[in-house]
Amino acid sequence: MNTYDDKAVLSATALAKQVELHGESITILASASLTVARGESVAIVGASGSGKSTLLSLLAGLDIPSEGEVMLLGRPLSELDEDQRAALRRDRVGFVFQNFQLLAQLSALENVMLPLELAGRRDAVQVATQMLTRVGLAHRLKHYPRHLSGGEQQRVALARAFVIHPPLLFADEPTGNLDPVHGRQIIDLLFQLNAEEGTALVLVTHDNELAGRCDAIYRLVDGTLVGAGR
Amino acid sequence: MRARLGLILRFVRRELQSGELTVLALALVIAVTAMSSVAFFSDRVEQGLASQATQLLAADLVVVGDAPLAPQFARAASGAGLATASSVSFPSMIFADGQTALANLKAVSDSYPLRGEVWLRLADGRPSHGALHPLPGSVWADARLMQRLGVAPGTMLAIGSTRLRLTAEIVREPDGAMDLYNFIPRLVINQRDLAATGLIQEGSRARWRLMAAGRADAVASVRQAWSGYLQRGTRIEDVEEARPEVRTALTRARRFLGLTAMLTVALAAAAVSLAVRRYLARHWQAVAVLRCLGQTSSEVLALFASLFVLLGLGAGTVGTLLGFALQSALARMTLSWLGAALPDPRGLMFLPGPLAALVLLAGLALPPLLGLRQVPPLAVLRTEAPATGLGAATSIMAVFVLLGLAAWQVGDAGLALWMLAGFAGFFGGVALLALALVSLTRALSGRGRIGWRLGVISLARRPWLAVIQISALSVGLMALLTLTVVRNDLIRSWQQSIPADAPNHFVINLQPAQRAPFAAAFAGVGRIAPELAPMVRGRLTAINDHAVTAGDYRSGEARRLVEREFNLSWRSTLPPGNVLTAGRWWRDAHPAAQFSVEAGVAEKLGIRVGDALTFDIGGTPYEALVTSLRAVAWDSFRANFFVLAPPGLLSDQPSSWITSFHLAPGDEAFVASLVRRFPNITVIDVSEILDEVRAMIDRLSRAIEVMFALALAAGVLVLWAALATTRDERLIDVALLRAIGASRRQVRLVVVSELLWLGTFAGLLAGGGAMALGTLAASKLFNLPPTLDVALLPLGVGAGIGVVLLAGWPLVRRVTRHAPVEVLREL
Repeated sequence: MNTYDDKAVLSATALAKQVELHGESITILASASLTVARGESVAIVGASGSGKSTLLSLLAGLDIPSEGEVMLLGRPLSELDEDQRAALRRDRVGFVFQNFQLLAQLSALENVMLPLELAGRRDAVQVATQMLTRVGLAHRLKHYPRHLSGGEQQRVALARAFVIHPPLLFADEPTGNLDPVHGRQIIDLLFQLNAEEGTALVLVTHDNELAGRCDAIYRLVDGTLVGAGR
Repeated sequence: MRARLGLILRFVRRELQSGELTVLALALVIAVTAMSSVAFFSDRVEQGLASQATQLLAADLVVVGDAPLAPQFARAASGAGLATASSVSFPSMIFADGQTALANLKAVSDSYPLRGEVWLRLADGRPSHGALHPLPGSVWADARLMQRLGVAPGTMLAIGSTRLRLTAEIVREPDGAMDLYNFIPRLVINQRDLAATGLIQEGSRARWRLMAAGRADAVASVRQAWSGYLQRGTRIEDVEEARPEVRTALTRARRFLGLTAMLTVALAAAAVSLAVRRYLARHWQAVAVLRCLGQTSSEVLALFASLFVLLGLGAGTVGTLLGFALQSALARMTLSWLGAALPDPRGLMFLPGPLAALVLLAGLALPPLLGLRQVPPLAVLRTEAPATGLGAATSIMAVFVLLGLAAWQVGDAGLALWMLAGFAGFFGGVALLALALVSLTRALSGRGRIGWRLGVISLARRPWLAVIQISALSVGLMALLTLTVVRNDLIRSWQQSIPADAPNHFVINLQPAQRAPFAAAFAGVGRIAPELAPMVRGRLTAINDHAVTAGDYRSGEARRLVEREFNLSWRSTLPPGNVLTAGRWWRDAHPAAQFSVEAGVAEKLGIRVGDALTFDIGGTPYEALVTSLRAVAWDSFRANFFVLAPPGLLSDQPSSWITSFHLAPGDEAFVASLVRRFPNITVIDVSEILDEVRAMIDRLSRAIEVMFALALAAGVLVLWAALATTRDERLIDVALLRAIGASRRQVRLVVVSELLWLGTFAGLLAGGGAMALGTLAASKLFNLPPTLDVALLPLGVGAGIGVVLLAGWPLVRRVTRHAPVEVLREL
């Protein structure tokens, strides 16, 4: 099972994505190659519409590339079907979104329990409670997302992402909807967990400060990914 | 101005093409179809009855009696310068070439008809119409009679003791419909041939009519004079009373249809309301953008208002056309017995459809639409929809709109109000139960596998939406279950309550001297002679020496009972199928004078055991005490009587004899031989009458079923709209679940479990409701023992789950067949 190179949790080779619109082929992503080592943090920056979110979707196996290959935790995504990709994400990949994406009808605790329950874990309540305590929300377990502030919602999202102790975490503009103070708190928490858990981070962001804290920065220019240094 | 018009048109075209308005348009079309089909249908029936009414009497004024009328009626009419005509009508057996058939025979005088026209088809096939009457020696029959006898014009028909030549087919006659059994084939002869038939004898059951026509003031004065001469058994007929039984049946059917249409409209209105809200919720950002681009709030409002007006007009037109087609089908299904010539609906009736669609939209869409005016350009920068705060105004306005529509639908504001209250109560009850069930799921939501649990949670944590969905669906389902399963149950148990060999033929007018030969006729062919019962006719004149008049009673039924002649009989033993409910039956060998009264009649007239009743029989008063009350099984199809006396009390009175017997199909020749031998008797084949009545109820209920199918369609539409309002939310949930690693199976389980719960609850409520309705209908309408059909519960659940899964399946497929990102991208 664990056949991937001990160093590379994620590698992408010559990823491209085209879509058909009214009979015309539009290139969203021309060529993207990158490698992320275990515990490494990588930022992907670029102008709006440069294809950042598309790249993230392809890397996470949420979408299928037109060309190229993604090796996620040692497994080529093109050889997995929809459900195998989902199982891989469920067990080994965390997600944080710009607009938090908590399920409105679930409480904070239930939202964090979700990935554990999807994996059939019986200790979901205890594990999720511990995780929420770690992000400082022990007093908000039974609250619904609509009763939480933006910063608190993103903490719940972080707890949900880290609760399975993933080797890899994708974050799409994690501070995009937060003010600078709360944004910084979330970033601190993110890198603290990154350090404690040894989780590799792939961040899509506009935030230069956030990008600056990463081990590597890639820039998307007109659909092509270029390494921008460390 | 032209530029603005262009903008509006382009906007409308784009919105219609986008498919965002499909649910809204369908809901409007269904509402308008239901409403306009009932409006068309009622209009045709009303018009048909009204236009017939003036001719129904064949005169301006008619007096009718169940005995020959006193000569003073005719004298008063002639004295005032009115033209007069007369007729006698009664059911009789007719023979031709070995065939027999029962017909309603009418013997008319030479001056008939005074008003209206007779339409005939002559022997050579030519039509003929005018103030016609058959010449002596000739007879007219309608197509049904000719078909049953298998004869054509030119044939000789045997009527009683005489033979007359069939000369024409009656297509329509002015007063042809005035007799109760108007579904019995009709036959018209000249009154001068009546005596030769020998059919009218002492105690014969017939109706004598005297018609008068002339100047309006003379008619009014004669009406007044006649009122003074009226005795029991005679009454003045006017157009208002024309065809009361058909009018009642159709009014009931119309109300029932109207009610169903209202149910459909109420459901559709719910769907419209949900769809409008979803549409506007998805468009407030577009509004903000338009405002940013310099459109004033009024211009934006005009844009959306034009869209809704065009949508209303379009859906109204389509719905009206569908309603017209549906109405034609309804009329063909139900009104064939009214005769072929139903007037077309008036052109005016094409207007309300589009109008109703606009009113419905105005009531339900205008308030949230007005809320759009409050969307500021600044909203572009926000991510959450601004609150419109017009919820209460919407509901109140919608209620008023519904009230208006209901009043128009049933043509009675009071009834409409009552109906709306009923609907509100019903929906409220269902909603409460639904809420209770949904709350129950909260308790369940902590257990079970994650897929199931998330489904339950989705339902339990959006309780009001769940309640709306469940209520709407269960009402539609219940309607359909009641009209199919329960109706069949009732009809079946009704049919089973009559044994297969129950008497299906009645014989009346048998004379005392014919009793022995009649029994011999049965014995001669190896049949068991049926028991004969004597019958005398008398009027109830006093209870406890207090003179009885119709004015003493408020109920129409009691009044009619007092006004008409009772059929009395005598016998020594309690008749089979009768059960004593009070007092005791006479057991002595020579019992004293006394009466036993049927319990239902006793209750209506306030008669108790111990009361003294006086009957006037042939001019002689008979007084005796009531010593018992009996419950009678009227559907046993035996000869039964309201009032019985011991032998000896009435036996000196002129009587005729009555009996009933069972005749197997294909055995009609025996009846023919009986009637040939005893031409004065009348054999009534009740199986045929029953079949006719059953067929009529069947047609009406089928029409109502069609309307209920519409109601169900509206119910499904509400569900669809309700599912659609949460669709975006659901899609996000599901895409998110997929992103964090839920398998397709798990995701499918989430959606399916929510739908299953929805369907189960709706089905449970629908099955329970149908069960209650069926029990109520059985005991109150059909007097059958109430039985709880428990099978309705699983049937309801099955139907509920089926309908919900069918409506929700596209969503399930969508969220599981596409990559998570594709789903998210479409939002």
